[in-house]
Amino acid sequence: MPCAGDHSAAPAIVIEFKNVGKTYKSLLGNSVKAVEEFSLVVAQGEILGIAGPNGAGKTTLIAMMLGYLRPTTGTVEIDGVPARHYVERNGIGYLSELVAIPPKWRAYTALVRYATLAGIPDDEIHQRVGYVIELLGLSEHRDKKVKALSKGNLQRLGLAQALLRDEKILVLDEPTHGLDPVWTQRFRDIVDGLRRPDRTILIASHNLDELQRLADRVAIIDRGRLQRLVSTGYEHAAPAMTRFRIAVARGHDLVRATFPQAEEAGRDEFDVTVHSIQELNSTLATLIGQGVLVASVVPEHSVLEQQFREAVGESS
Amino acid sequence: MISLAKYSLWQFRDFVLERGIAIVLIGSLWGYVMFEPLRRAMGPQWTGDQTSPVWGIALQVASAVVSLSVLIAVNGIISTDRKTGYYRFLFSKPINPVVYYAQLFVVYMVGVLVAMLILSGLLRTMFPAFSIRNFLLYTAIIYVAMGGIGFFLSVATRFDWLTLAAVWLGSRILRDFSGAKGGWRSKAVELLPPVHKLDEMANSLIGRGTAHTSDVVWFLGYGLLFFAFGLLIIRYGSLAD
Repeated sequence: MPCAGDHSAAPAIVIEFKNVGKTYKSLLGNSVKAVEEFSLVVAQGEILGIAGPNGAGKTTLIAMMLGYLRPTTGTVEIDGVPARHYVERNGIGYLSELVAIPPKWRAYTALVRYATLAGIPDDEIHQRVGYVIELLGLSEHRDKKVKALSKGNLQRLGLAQALLRDEKILVLDEPTHGLDPVWTQRFRDIVDGLRRPDRTILIASHNLDELQRLADRVAIIDRGRLQRLVSTGYEHAAPAMTRFRIAVARGHDLVRATFPQAEEAGRDEFDVTVHSIQELNSTLATLIGQGVLVASVVPEHSVLEQQFREAVGESS
Repeated sequence: MISLAKYSLWQFRDFVLERGIAIVLIGSLWGYVMFEPLRRAMGPQWTGDQTSPVWGIALQVASAVVSLSVLIAVNGIISTDRKTGYYRFLFSKPINPVVYYAQLFVVYMVGVLVAMLILSGLLRTMFPAFSIRNFLLYTAIIYVAMGGIGFFLSVATRFDWLTLAAVWLGSRILRDFSGAKGGWRSKAVELLPPVHKLDEMANSLIGRGTAHTSDVVWFLGYGLLFFAFGLLIIRYGSLAD
């Protein structure tokens, strides 16, 4: 029987998809099921990733979460109320996959408009807009019209409007789409900085590496169904991680002697297969003990990548 | 609600830049091209009062400019946001789309009235007897009637200006052809927008400052009913469909 302490320790459920389905019907009567029997709870303080191939239903799920689409079946609730009601009362920081801002608006005034709608007090608007412009590196583009912004800058503007308020829920749909490597990395740092016990973040992305780094759990969806819910922490990773690439700075020959089955993958690089993380660690300890200088150990597939391959492969 | 009220200034600015200037330019050009040659040709015979032979034409042109202005004003009032996806960032903020669009409808009405105020001021330089007050009253009624239907069509379809023009013109043609035939056809056309009353309303309201109460109620009731249907669809429909 659970004691009171158990309840207080469990993080509160913030977002709940209850048996959600969405079917699109064409004028000719054809129907397409975009989402089917989707149930998922997202806890307060969690960063949840949503991964899936193109057309898997990620964006439809997010549209239902924001109340832009009505589910054909089931419900989506945030903080115990229908999603749309929550958004109308509290707002959500949202970056859509396609950043759609009227092209004639200027970057700065677009943010001032969104800040006005977000209910930011007049005397704080310019300070807050200035902050997100600085944060997203848009200072030199602030007076440009939206139509004059490059794809990457437009994406940053989209992210800037999502961060205008101190939101408790952030939904980022393909957030690094169109960003260059520098800003992709910067974005990850920003999201890391947004992690807070009372803030819930959803990130939909094709980029599994990004989700592996940022998310606590990842919902893998395909053909509108939840295929797997994967924890990205390495404590659950042992069965999936069997192949690693080891790079050594010294002791090349010793690796061959310790791992006879190691395959050379390049200059001072070897692909090795182990059956558990424990085995990997003991072998590395042996190598290091023998004087090998290990430069890096990288799994061939991340935990998430492995799970994704299996889940999407299984469903297709 | 307060943030939305503040945002109405941005909405008005958008109206002026994207629609208001166009309305004033089109209306001015139309009036100039229509009446300036006549004024020159008539010379001293031009009086510009209600006894002038061109007075009736002036009322018809003024009425047509109002209809065109309303068409320009409500074109894409909701469908543009839905087609382009602008609604996504707007309605992730803590605002109610029903109130947002209702406010937009009212702000655009104010915009149309301001545009008509400017145009009627220009028209008065040619027709000193032209009543600005009566013209604005007529504009407000037509905005609610025609704009209400346009608002509904903008929620329900993505080709709203075309649909509104078709409904407006189609109603006129159907009333002309079927209205006097009696039987079920004449009863059925009674359900269509009361466009056949436009000329009469323009003549009486703009020209004399009076109008049949039943006509005014019909116009306003028709527009408000469709406006309310539009709001209901926003409330219970899907913005992203």
